Amino acid sequence: MTMAIAAVSSGCAAYPRLLNTPFDPGGRSLNSPAAETNPDIAGRYIVFVSEREKRQDIYLYDLQTQRTIAIPGLNSLATVAEHPDVSADGRYIVFAGNRQGRSGIFLYDREIRQLRNVTGSLNATVRNPSISDDGKTIAFEANLNGQWDILVYNRSGQPLDLPTPPR
Amino acid sequence: MAGTQEAQTRPVKDWLRRLGTRIGLGIAVLGLGSCTPTSRPQLPVALNSYYTDEQPAMSGDGRFLAFVSNRDGTRSILLYDLQRKQFAQLPRLNRKDAIAETPSLSYTGRYLVYVASDRGRPEIELYDRITQRTQVLTGGYRGWVRNPNISSDGRYVVFETGRRGQWDIEIIDRGPGIELDRPNGS
Repeated sequence: MTMAIAAVSSGCAAYPRLLNTPFDPGGRSLNSPAAETNPDIAGRYIVFVSEREKRQDIYLYDLQTQRTIAIPGLNSLATVAEHPDVSADGRYIVFAGNRQGRSGIFLYDREIRQLRNVTGSLNATVRNPSISDDGKTIAFEANLNGQWDILVYNRSGQPLDLPTPPR
Repeated sequence: MAGTQEAQTRPVKDWLRRLGTRIGLGIAVLGLGSCTPTSRPQLPVALNSYYTDEQPAMSGDGRFLAFVSNRDGTRSILLYDLQRKQFAQLPRLNRKDAIAETPSLSYTGRYLVYVASDRGRPEIELYDRITQRTQVLTGGYRGWVRNPNISSDGRYVVFETGRRGQWDIEIIDRGPGIELDRPNGS
């Protein structure tokens, strides 16, 4: 009986376990000699922030090919990018960006290689976006009433109709 | 004589009336009890409060939103249903003696991962909304951990590690034996 229990528990001990995380000094993999932060996994993709190019940029890693995927036009010298999230098909990448002192929630569409500020008309500091698998809904923080609140927008930048707290 | 007869029957009538009221009340309570889950319309509840509400995480299907709130004199992880505009309960998740941060959700919001302080050490924990149980995923892991994020199917958890003297990314595999969180019918 004791042996049976021991066998079962050792069988279970195999999981959860750490995967061998790829490391590439050349910077084409998940980890590099520089810092990697804010990972977000969806489907076969991991999106994250890295300083491997001596700037704070966003990278997209493909778990199947074990390589980073180029995302032309997403990173720029004028913007500090933070806290990315990716849709399940890898098409939409959302992140918080700060450009010329103004923060915005930016949405990058890999299919048309276009970058758009979803919160351009919102007069508030914004941060920490999160996107649904289908890329249609984005939640983020906004400093509107003297403290952080959560706003939920659709992809085209329209707020979802949610009740507000009573005064 | 008639007076005494009335005096004798009045307590009986009173008793019968009280019994009747009790049975009536009982039926009413039973009726209400059985109807509560379906017939009482719940008014929409606001997502935000007048305290800090932060670190939003969408479920893969876009229906649920997990976040951290400072309302009610406690820092807790809350789960909001964007479809019903109500809060969903997370029994036994928030503890009175600990703080949990940076939540992340699987596809239907079944699995919730977050960082919690456990005896002063940060641990990545997984809460299963179906079993209402919490599992420590980084027990015995040497190194500082933060910012976990779970895949939609619930099998993989990525997180930041301080093990190599800077922030790097690690991946936990929960294994092929877990119940995956998938859309209905797939």
